[in-house]
Amino acid sequence: MKLPEIDLCLIAPEIIVAAFGFFVLLVDVFFSKRENKAYLGWISLVGIFFAGALAVTQAGSVKSGFEGMFISDGYALFFRITFLIIAFLTVLISMGYTQREGIAFGEYYALILFATLGMMLMAAGTHLVIIFLGLETMSISIYILAGMMREDKRSVEAALKYFLLGAFATGFLLYGIALIYGATGSLYLKDVASYIASKNLLRNPMLLMSLVFLTIGFGFKIASVPFHMWTPDVYEGAPTSITAFMATGVKAAGFSALVRVFFSALPGFRPDWTSIMWLIAVATMTVGNIVAISQSNIKRMLAYSSIAHAGYILVAFVAGNDLGVSGILFYLMAYAFMNIGAFTCVILLGKKGEENTLIRDYAGIGFKYPLLSAAMTIFLLSMAGIPPLGGFMAKFYVFSAAVKEKFYWLAILGVLNSAVSVYYYLRVTVLMYFREPEREITGLQFSPAAVAALVLAVIGTLYMGIFPSNVLSFAQKSIAGLM
Amino acid sequence: MAENIGTLFQWLIFLGVAFISILASLLLVTRKNPIHSALFLVLNFLCVAVLYILLYSQFIAIIQVVVYAGAIVMLIVFVIMLLDLEVELRSGLKFSYTKLIGGFLALFFFLGIFYAVVAKSPTGKIGSSYTSENITNNVKAVGEVLFTQYLFPFEIVSILLVVAMVGAVILSKKRA
Amino acid sequence: MFEYVWLIPLFPAIGFVLNGFLGRRLGKGFVSWVGPSAIGLSFLTAIFIFFELIGRPPAERHFEKVIFDWVVSGNFRTVIGYQIDPLSILMALVVTGVSFFIHIYSVGYMHDDPGYPRYFTYLNLFVFMMLNLILANNFLLMFVGWEGVGLCSYLLIGFWFEKDSASNAGKKAFVVNRVGDFGFILGMFLLFTSLGKHGIWTLDFTEVFANANKLDPATVTTITILLFIGACGKSAQIPLYVWLPDAMEGPTPVSSLIHAATMVTAGVYMVARCNVLYSMAPVSMAIVAIVGVATAIYTASIGFCQTDIKKVLAYSTISQLGYMFLGVGVGAYSAGIFHLMTHAFFKGLLFLGAGSVMHALSGELDMRKMGALRKKIPITFWTFFIATLAIAGIPGLSGFFSKDEILWQAFSSSHGHFLLWLVAAVAAGMTAFYMFRALFMTFFGQSRVDPHVAHHIHESPKIMTVPLMILAFLSIVGGYVGVPHVLGGANHVHEFLAPVVGGGAELGKAHAGISLLSQAWASSGEAGGHSAALELLMMVISVVIALIGIGIAYLFYIKNPALPKLLAERWRGLYRLVYNKYYVDELYEILFINSLKSLGTGLWRGFDDFVIDGTVNGIAYLIGWLSGSIRRVQTGLVQNYAFAMILGGVIIAGYYLIRGIFY
Repeated sequence: MKLPEIDLCLIAPEIIVAAFGFFVLLVDVFFSKRENKAYLGWISLVGIFFAGALAVTQAGSVKSGFEGMFISDGYALFFRITFLIIAFLTVLISMGYTQREGIAFGEYYALILFATLGMMLMAAGTHLVIIFLGLETMSISIYILAGMMREDKRSVEAALKYFLLGAFATGFLLYGIALIYGATGSLYLKDVASYIASKNLLRNPMLLMSLVFLTIGFGFKIASVPFHMWTPDVYEGAPTSITAFMATGVKAAGFSALVRVFFSALPGFRPDWTSIMWLIAVATMTVGNIVAISQSNIKRMLAYSSIAHAGYILVAFVAGNDLGVSGILFYLMAYAFMNIGAFTCVILLGKKGEENTLIRDYAGIGFKYPLLSAAMTIFLLSMAGIPPLGGFMAKFYVFSAAVKEKFYWLAILGVLNSAVSVYYYLRVTVLMYFREPEREITGLQFSPAAVAALVLAVIGTLYMGIFPSNVLSFAQKSIAGLM
Repeated sequence: MAENIGTLFQWLIFLGVAFISILASLLLVTRKNPIHSALFLVLNFLCVAVLYILLYSQFIAIIQVVVYAGAIVMLIVFVIMLLDLEVELRSGLKFSYTKLIGGFLALFFFLGIFYAVVAKSPTGKIGSSYTSENITNNVKAVGEVLFTQYLFPFEIVSILLVVAMVGAVILSKKRA
Repeated sequence: MFEYVWLIPLFPAIGFVLNGFLGRRLGKGFVSWVGPSAIGLSFLTAIFIFFELIGRPPAERHFEKVIFDWVVSGNFRTVIGYQIDPLSILMALVVTGVSFFIHIYSVGYMHDDPGYPRYFTYLNLFVFMMLNLILANNFLLMFVGWEGVGLCSYLLIGFWFEKDSASNAGKKAFVVNRVGDFGFILGMFLLFTSLGKHGIWTLDFTEVFANANKLDPATVTTITILLFIGACGKSAQIPLYVWLPDAMEGPTPVSSLIHAATMVTAGVYMVARCNVLYSMAPVSMAIVAIVGVATAIYTASIGFCQTDIKKVLAYSTISQLGYMFLGVGVGAYSAGIFHLMTHAFFKGLLFLGAGSVMHALSGELDMRKMGALRKKIPITFWTFFIATLAIAGIPGLSGFFSKDEILWQAFSSSHGHFLLWLVAAVAAGMTAFYMFRALFMTFFGQSRVDPHVAHHIHESPKIMTVPLMILAFLSIVGGYVGVPHVLGGANHVHEFLAPVVGGGAELGKAHAGISLLSQAWASSGEAGGHSAALELLMMVISVVIALIGIGIAYLFYIKNPALPKLLAERWRGLYRLVYNKYYVDELYEILFINSLKSLGTGLWRGFDDFVIDGTVNGIAYLIGWLSGSIRRVQTGLVQNYAFAMILGGVIIAGYYLIRGIFY
């Protein structure tokens, strides 16, 4: 019996995140007053910042450890940073919001940290068990976070729905992993790929079934059609800050694992999955955009828009070339900024007992809250893909990747879908600036932390639109070892 | 000769247990009384445990009995009794198109998996294979792997369990 | 210092941001400081860089600074980068310098305007865009600047948007410029794709010009003609000149800065920048030269009969731009740029002078209601007089040297022709005439000023007259950097620009054998071999022509003021034709606008109503219906959601397995 090599430096960012999670749980006892819970948020921010700094110091090196189950490569680095940015912004927008909605528990921040840990493991795992455990850590944390507002029926309903369907999807995922093990005898992504290649198992029905199950499992997390139906209900019901976290973090984590597993373990099956993913991408974009049009609640609208964005990202996944995969990373990062930004605006426009999440409520706020509206406009336009904002560059890379691989129809359908999406994004903007308010919204309290998050999100969105090549070249470097 | 008898015996046990297991599952979903369903679930779990033993996986068999048949079904029974599901009981089973289509889908899925698993024999060859020591000392083998090769996942599981506990506490504790 | 080239456009950008966001809040004092000093700082930077550049040997006078990668897509990469070479730094000096003085002038001129912060915001933005245009090291960034200055021009022409004529003029400028820009974009794409065929995906100037020889002549000709269409729009050449006279609706300093000194010369700069391409396409060069000279004489003739002082200057600007195009069209790129520079001084000055006159006369523009102003506003008069002498080409002032250089090149260059020279020389005489006409009508003779305006005629404040004096000084001495060899000068401008445009000129000689002009008219076969005596003779002739023009103007407007009226009576038809600018606006109205309008109406009535509206409404209805019905699937029941997941799974599984079995 030999003990495994334990390289703690390798997982230092994960350790920091986990340790701060436990620390927050512990010191929660000493901040018994609700007003003081915000300190826990600051502690979490410190932890996230430290983890990010540690992650950055690992840049450039590719190191594998823990019996080859975990890798710290460029890909992991990019996603670690993305997740940590998402977590950072989420904690920032949560501090005022949790106070307002009476869910200011210490566990709230701890769970966000644990969920982030799960995401990081998903992106860095090279063994299916790690990926699965990461996914579960993330999911369970988020089931709980979604149901935090126990007095609100919709929140409880959202949590329960998400939990039931999530468990269902997890079952599929686990079954898929089991079938892979059955067919190849290994759960290491690299071993699976080399075994499949050496034994020519490309027509093995067991592996094909596992492909189906993995598609369902990951498709659920990234909210792709037809595994998307939980999204609007859950996004609407969950606390808004958690909705932002889910829409960006869970989606990014789902994609990180999907790309890693499909491209490193099952590259031989690309001809098989390409056509299915093509179909899913088109269906996801179309359903997301079309249904978003008829929504009257902004959280639901953003939920459908988030489905549509998953579709755009799948376009890049189908393209599957260097530009496409780095486009996925770019897109997820840009989406993190603009989507969290948009949800921050949604949060800031609400107050205790009056959420103001109907799209109607946005009428005429343009002149009452000029900066908030300007920020919201930036995020919406970015999501609609209007230059020079991050969302535009993201779509540009994604669609040009598809064109490069000669998926012309896919690119055309994608562009058409973006055109449709402009309608509902602009509708909010038009309401904000060109309509008289139906009723006065007064007495909003802007928490400084949330405003800081808003500013960061605006900067991020603009930066990625105007200086896209920095992030893109980072993304391109990140996928070096993957493909 | 003795070996052949042993194999035959194993085969007979498998057939019997598998049959009972399927029967239990069917009864589980068709009974109107939830308590009955829960008890059939226990039966099903026990049958599966026997199947594990037939596969020389004593450790998982015991876990199956202790965790699933013991803890989880116990929880289910408690919940059923506390919630008093009389209404559900009376609503009974009704025919609906959803169920019909759902049944067909389930059938398709089953056939797909059946084809996938049975039509082509499993091919996995990389992993550590059974050795006599593994079979006789199953628990030790699992423990060894768990604390060496799978040390890292093991640690992650501990965090996962903490998260689950925190969740249970926070969702059920009284509002401060 | 070269590393800091980005400071040049940065300062105006900062000015734009500060004025735009804080201007209204912090008031006029703040804006008055930020606006001009932003430009002043970038002027200073440009001067430093200029001197450092001069310190280097001519072959090393090139530097590119990449700020960051902008669009990266596959093997195509475009950067935001600035380049310093003699051409760009000269342009930068002219732009920042003239802008600086005009900004200062504007502080006085616009002082009482309620849109004061908005004005400086736009003006700073304009300078920023213009600097991007001239400092860019690739076509794409240049195009951004190109579009940006167009936008600012539109905003500033329509600055007083409450006036219908102003907002209409803005729209007209915008539309006409779009026509030109369309040509520019097409040219750029064609260049990009045809270089791409050779595996060179780039829009970088250095790389494009280094690889230009890979292109075949027909392609280069098409590209350069398309680019020239863009230049026609921006620099107001036939047939796209119609927007510039209307652009005078903007504030006068704007006319001076954008519509005389800087933006409208962008086309000339672009042609000079692409001299390598143009030199490879003699046909395009001939077209440039002919369009240029035709514009020069044509608009000079319109200048004869205009009574609005700013309109006179506008037509004169178009005419002078024609000269510049003539210069670059005959391959004398440095002469064109030289004239661009001197023109920026004296035309900027003329407009500012006109502004000063307007200031004195409470906004009067009609020259028939002026006269005898020279004593009342002496500084304005003297500076205006100097500028008029310069533009008329009187020896010793800047305009003489630059115009004469172009005239001589039009005659002697291998791309030149005697007829080009002749037309241009006549146009020069006409220029002298109408400019002195404007001078005489405004400042001499009897006062025809409205009595209730007359009593408070006053000289402009110092903040306006000082820029006038500085520009007047530059109008005099600005020409001495380019005194031709034949007059014993060193022609520094030519030497200075040679590293940039010299290559093109050399290349041009190689291609001159197939020059359209030489071939078609086959005149001076011994091109280039002219003697110094001939050059001097030509010079004298052009001076004489200019003097004749001035003499006629003196005769008509000082000596015998009744004469013009008499002549107008005599040739009434001709007079009305010219007075109405040859009815070109009306012609365009009928040809393009009305027909487009009726076409539009027809399409709207027939096609649009039934087909487009029908389709759009249909699609909208369909999407609405789809949206609603898909939404109904969203029942909120977990079972149904799980059902959808299973359904999806079964479909995928079916696909994979069937594929797996049959393939």
